[in-house]
Amino acid sequence: MIRHSLYILLRRITRDKVLYLIILTNLAVGFAAFVVLSTFISDQFNYDKQNKKYDRIYRLQLFMDQKENTIKHTWSVTAALSRKDLVDLPEIEKIALMHDVGDNNKSGVFLSVDKKNQFLTRFGYYADQTVFDIFTFKFIEGDPANALVQPYSMVLSKEVANRMFPGGNALGKQVYGENKVVFNVTGVYEDIPLKSSWRPTFLIPMKIFTPLTGWSTYEKEYKSYSFYTYVLLKPHASSSSVDNKIYDALREYTKEHHPYLRPMSKLYIDPYFEKTMYIIVGLISFLSALILILSSINFINLQTANATTRFREIGIKKTLGFNKKRLWKQFMGESVILTFIAAITGLFLAQLAIPAMNNMLGSETFSGTFKDWRLLVVIFVVTLLTGLLSGLHPAYVISSYNPVAALKQKFISEKTNGISLKKTLVTIQFSISIFMLIVGFIIYRQTQHMLKKELGFNSETVMFTNIVTDQKGSLEPLRQKLLQHPEIKNMCVSDYIPFILPGGDDLNWEGGKPDEKVFVRISNVNYDFVPTFGLKMLDGRNFSREFPADRSKCLINETAAKVFGWKDAVGRHMKVYNKDFEVIGVIKDYVVFSVYSPNEPHFYKLAKDSVMSDAVYAVNFSRGQEKKAMGIVKNEFSQFFPNDAFEFRNMQFLTQNENALKAWKGFSKIMTLTAIITIIISSIGLFGLILFLTQRKMKEVGIRRVLGFSHASLYMTLSSEFIKLILISVLLAWPAAYYVYHVLPAGANKYDLQIWEFVFATLLILIVAVGTISYQIIKALCVRLVDILKDE
Amino acid sequence: MNLASMKKNQFMIRTVNLSKIFRTEMVETTALHEVNFKVSKGEFVAIMGPSGCGKSTLLNILGLLDNSDSGEYYFEGIDVSGFGEKQRTNLRKGNIGFIFQSFNLIDELTIFENVELPLLAMKVPMAERKVRVEEILDQMRIGHRRSHFPRQLSGGQQQRAAIARALITSPKLILADEPTGNLDSSNGEQVMQLLEEMNAAGTTIIMVTHSLNHAERAHRIVNLFDGNLVMERSEKVFESINRVV
Repeated sequence: MIRHSLYILLRRITRDKVLYLIILTNLAVGFAAFVVLSTFISDQFNYDKQNKKYDRIYRLQLFMDQKENTIKHTWSVTAALSRKDLVDLPEIEKIALMHDVGDNNKSGVFLSVDKKNQFLTRFGYYADQTVFDIFTFKFIEGDPANALVQPYSMVLSKEVANRMFPGGNALGKQVYGENKVVFNVTGVYEDIPLKSSWRPTFLIPMKIFTPLTGWSTYEKEYKSYSFYTYVLLKPHASSSSVDNKIYDALREYTKEHHPYLRPMSKLYIDPYFEKTMYIIVGLISFLSALILILSSINFINLQTANATTRFREIGIKKTLGFNKKRLWKQFMGESVILTFIAAITGLFLAQLAIPAMNNMLGSETFSGTFKDWRLLVVIFVVTLLTGLLSGLHPAYVISSYNPVAALKQKFISEKTNGISLKKTLVTIQFSISIFMLIVGFIIYRQTQHMLKKELGFNSETVMFTNIVTDQKGSLEPLRQKLLQHPEIKNMCVSDYIPFILPGGDDLNWEGGKPDEKVFVRISNVNYDFVPTFGLKMLDGRNFSREFPADRSKCLINETAAKVFGWKDAVGRHMKVYNKDFEVIGVIKDYVVFSVYSPNEPHFYKLAKDSVMSDAVYAVNFSRGQEKKAMGIVKNEFSQFFPNDAFEFRNMQFLTQNENALKAWKGFSKIMTLTAIITIIISSIGLFGLILFLTQRKMKEVGIRRVLGFSHASLYMTLSSEFIKLILISVLLAWPAAYYVYHVLPAGANKYDLQIWEFVFATLLILIVAVGTISYQIIKALCVRLVDILKDE
Repeated sequence: MNLASMKKNQFMIRTVNLSKIFRTEMVETTALHEVNFKVSKGEFVAIMGPSGCGKSTLLNILGLLDNSDSGEYYFEGIDVSGFGEKQRTNLRKGNIGFIFQSFNLIDELTIFENVELPLLAMKVPMAERKVRVEEILDQMRIGHRRSHFPRQLSGGQQQRAAIARALITSPKLILADEPTGNLDSSNGEQVMQLLEEMNAAGTTIIMVTHSLNHAERAHRIVNLFDGNLVMERSEKVFESINRVV
């Protein structure tokens, strides 16, 4: 019986190649999309899993319980917490304190083997030796047990080691940091996988933090939030028990700030109790399920339609004594086999598509499908379920045929009371298609909105670098020299620039209640910061060399004025680090860090008009002169800072690589892909469906043609049913799509929804439907009348 | 032995006031009206009548493909008129063979596989299936065509394959619905000869036909008109039954 059924299926596939190609392509594309999106979803939950002690690793974070604050959580914490408060807790097995080497947000540090060839390296960290007890590092060279024990030891990632020591054997070699400090390489580890929340490129011992930074009291420091702490809990220890014990550890300093432990499983997907990633992952999961449902519905419709060509087989089998159950099994089996063929094809399609898509997204957004066995199990189960569920209706319809009617090859009309299953499926199919297209538009438009958002500063003709230097003295000679070149328009120095987020402090303000404080970001900028970045003054003036008293003055941003409730901010006073400042100007808000983040209060004080170390030097150049300007700047800076390494980059390096924007770009591309697949699958589905329905109406068309009905009226008769269903689908799809817009985590930068997006998506489906209907109807109208009537 | 002395259960088929009405929302069509019809074991009966008189409906009910609306139907003495689909399917299996005007061979199966189908329905083991199918194909003189598909055979060969399929289970009853309708006279003659041979071997045959020539080769001709049994011609009937019993 199985052999017979397989023969029949195989011979049908060979005979009706086009039809089965449509059936299988539809499902295979659906599966490929499902697989690709599933790998994306599964990846989101598989961050940091390379760590063997994954379940016991926690990061120390702070909850800043101030209602004025827009940012409520941070993982930049004080060192004293880990050196004092966590040390004696019985739940904790290991603690590792860390700090950036240089400023990872700005540009990192220069490492060199020969003091000449400098390698700008970001994401290096000071770390306790315990870091190797907590995280899993795969050492290629050296021994993790004592890699950071010796002062001035350095452990490199494979990538950094290969860059600096292309021949290998980095162990025992010397590395210069910023041409000033000599380190000994004590280990090389495999690069940390991309799907990690923390990816250090090199590590040096925490014990040399004081000698290198001159900060001797950091371990007692409770107010400086620039350290990172990871802990390893003992087996079965409770993190909430630790949380309770450290909840008020900072009460003497800031009673609104509460330390807590965040498990490693949440560090990527949900570090700060936000729904953003869940909504994105949920939406993508939902869409991938919808794609599969859409192609399954197509499969059901196509298989049911296909069944009408099997009347004889069914009639004969029933006549010969095959019971309903056996026929049902046969057709269910066919459905499952076809689904598995499609799923396997889909898997290979996905495997082929993933590198191209990663290329398109510019990252390893998608990982290989065959790598994760759990995903394969999920795909197997989903395939089986899809096969069974999709086969249910066609198998039921086919096995229920009356043998007499089947042998007469009569179309058996669906017996329904009210709503027919076919119409319901078609309506669902249209609804899903319209919904997915609209959602595709919404995501696309949201991303475009964020990409095109007015940054509020000049990001196109500004280049910057970070310089760590021992040099002192005025910066004016350098500035004057640069300005002699017509390509250079201005130059400034500041400790932070847009998209490099400064720290800050909780500040009170004039007019605020005595105990009321709000977190304000603090930057030191020189006179030329505002014009170099093309910032706009809303009120008052910029710092000026003509006003020596400006050293006790400050600028604030628009949001600060709003938060403080100052309508006339100029002339107001505020205390920062116990020093009084008078506001002389208000800068129009610009995007400080991320297009996704809301604006925060910002305070700018005047930096000394001299060389600053570990500061950002930015140069504004004439449009179209970047290359020339870059040469000039490199030359002038090399002469001015002969002993220091630096590397200028365009501001767009920061703005275009900003994480939130990158995530949105990726999301947008995924959605574009989803929308394209939706259109393909919808078209296939519509083709099959309309083929089936027009096939059924052939006789009606024939009789109407005999009676002299015009082609136009026949067209209306056949298409009106579909148009009606599309209109019903609109009622379902539009509110659902609006809901997606509503929950979209776009922060403060949600774009304004336009009705044309809904209309356009609907029209697109309508065009596909009408196009397919027209094709089928024209085909029906071209068939010889006698053939139609004879067939019936 | 004469007909009067036959016991009830010697009838292969007996219907009592068998009626079938086709209903649509607006119209009722009486396909069969109180048909009383008997067929003895070993008999060869031809049913004739104009198009739409109910011949095929009667054949479908007799073949347990359809149910009557009223009346009784005894198959080998058992009242099957109230049988559900499952019971009808089980009874049909192996007991009744069907021959159709349009052969009704499955296009996707070879001649061997088509003939094998009824044995599959009866779950006969593969080795036995092979022997029996080979045997009957040779008997029907189409053994050399066993691996071909129906479309590769002539009409006569296709009908011989269909007859082989009907005979493979050695059924008690063969129902033939215009078996020669799609064949030329020479192939038609061959099919009629096969039917006569089957009947001679003891198989009961009921054949629907439009051809008086072919009908006259049966023991008895039953005429239907508008769902009513109107006339029987049974000159040869006693002679034939006496020969079989």
